[in-house]
Amino acid sequence: MYNYKTGIEQIDSVCGGFEAGTNILILAPPMSYADQLAYALIKPLQGEYSIVLSTNERAAEVVDYFKVAGADKRFVGVIDAITKSSTPSIADTTRLMFVSSPTDLTGIGIKFSNMIETIFEGDFSDGEPGLFPPPVRFCVNSISTLLMYRRLEVLYQFLHVLTAKLKKIEGVGIYLLNSESFDEKTLSLIKQLMNCVIEVKMENNITYLRIMGIRGVTGEWLKFTVTKGQVVILP
Amino acid sequence: MIPTGMHALDEMLGGGIPGDSRVLYSMEPGVNGQLFMISTLSAALKKGMTCLVILPNTTVDAFRHDAITLQGDQKALSSDKLAFIDAIDRERIQKGAASRDAEARDWKARIQKVCRESGVDVIFAYFDLLYEEFGLETGLSILESARQDRKTTLILEHLNLEGAPLVDRFIHEHSFDLVLTIRSSSHPLPQFSYFTLLHTSWAPLPVRSIPFSVSEGKVILYTPKIVVTGPEHSGKTTFVSHASAADQETTRAGVPKETATGTMDFGRLRWKNFDITLYGTPGQTEFDPQIMPTLRHAMGVVIVIDAADQDMFPRAKYLAGLVAKQRIPFVIAANRKDPHKVIAESVIRNALALPREIPLYYISATERSDVSRVLESLVDYITRISS
Repeated sequence: MYNYKTGIEQIDSVCGGFEAGTNILILAPPMSYADQLAYALIKPLQGEYSIVLSTNERAAEVVDYFKVAGADKRFVGVIDAITKSSTPSIADTTRLMFVSSPTDLTGIGIKFSNMIETIFEGDFSDGEPGLFPPPVRFCVNSISTLLMYRRLEVLYQFLHVLTAKLKKIEGVGIYLLNSESFDEKTLSLIKQLMNCVIEVKMENNITYLRIMGIRGVTGEWLKFTVTKGQVVILP
Repeated sequence: MIPTGMHALDEMLGGGIPGDSRVLYSMEPGVNGQLFMISTLSAALKKGMTCLVILPNTTVDAFRHDAITLQGDQKALSSDKLAFIDAIDRERIQKGAASRDAEARDWKARIQKVCRESGVDVIFAYFDLLYEEFGLETGLSILESARQDRKTTLILEHLNLEGAPLVDRFIHEHSFDLVLTIRSSSHPLPQFSYFTLLHTSWAPLPVRSIPFSVSEGKVILYTPKIVVTGPEHSGKTTFVSHASAADQETTRAGVPKETATGTMDFGRLRWKNFDITLYGTPGQTEFDPQIMPTLRHAMGVVIVIDAADQDMFPRAKYLAGLVAKQRIPFVIAANRKDPHKVIAESVIRNALALPREIPLYYISATERSDVSRVLESLVDYITRISS
């Protein structure tokens, strides 16, 4: 089974990275750089692919981030739920697909399946075909935005399908959720879909993370920063 | 009759959808089935009908662009016989209404107004958000309100996250006339999508599942088929004949029996509402060029081997490799022709280089129950939905 390296020593040295099929919730307060943490964790390494479902940034901005972080953008796909509302005639490409709004779960589901199918067929990038099944890192850059538009029960059912699909294709999923905007019931329901939770907090302008749900990884708070798309654990 | 725009489906329905009907296209997440609604809309417009499209989660411009990109019929989809209520109207309704009841009343008033002023023949509604906001009863009553004045057909597309119980409610509690579920397997390759014609009120049609693909703006239906292949004398013909439903005969491509080893075997069976045709390929290498065309659009493949004949394993390995390259799901049926001489599973797996996830069944091709078990598990595997 493939392991997805995280760049976090505390995870990689214990189990070689995230196991294929893992779904991870990043629970973070606003303005805690959690989106950068999520992007760093899904940055594609050689032979891997990344897909971002972007509910709060345009596709171009997401791709730019990966470019700056040193990733090969040919291996990054974005399902953009923002741009189409202002540019209705924007056309899909192989790696950039657009849905009308974050309410459009039908469109999101179809574009996700299409992108995965293209990756599996080897038509996603012009690079050499590598491993099969191809390793796919997937990120929803925030569930919080989806929850603004759809009811919790509906979103739970939708995410249930999405996380199961990701497990099936042996990918890894990272889902961002604002820890301060939702009640305990919402948080615990979303957690049910995940194998692992990374909590983020900020104290005195220093960001901390703790990892829960990975065997052998202690749940202690670790100071961290993200530099050039790489998570750096500080002493 | 309102054509669906999908010729084969229209034929199954006896020409299309009768006027004044209520239709549900129920989609599972991720399945590329949006063309069912768009094709029906385009076909209704081509027939000169006036249509109202209710799009609570997108705007008219975005919908029109996507529909034309998907289906390609710019002329029909730009018709002036097309009216819309879209996401912008929904926002206005939400802002203007003091309560959920008031919101429902406003929806009804708007739909009735458009229907009255434009003389709408068919309402096409994307139902997800109405269902989420108002529930099934009120959501449908909003759409039904316009049908009281005149005979209007109602066609819904719904992203069904609740599965069969919700579909049953459309049929039994709300007497929908046509219910079609659109699904796909959870495997990314090959993309296997199919619809099930679950209910028709105007004709006693059997429940049927049909695979489809989407190409050049069209929904293409194809025959569900399973290919049975393997080295010669492994028991393929026996397998196909025992797989076929009791009332169906197997045939050998209409050639005399004495030349039969070089011909295809055909059989039929029904499982999970699929009327499946079995294609048994000849085993000899000179007929290999027939295999690739036969594999086209196959749902799955059964590779039959003689469980005692090690000499044929290289040939079986070659055939398994051929199928695996096409990424078609397959299983191995190891036929115990001689029950006293059976090679161990680990030896077979090793010889055929079979990964663990490929099922291997020991069977007797003369036992109908053994053969059924293999085919049923293959179809279950192919049609299994993520859950």
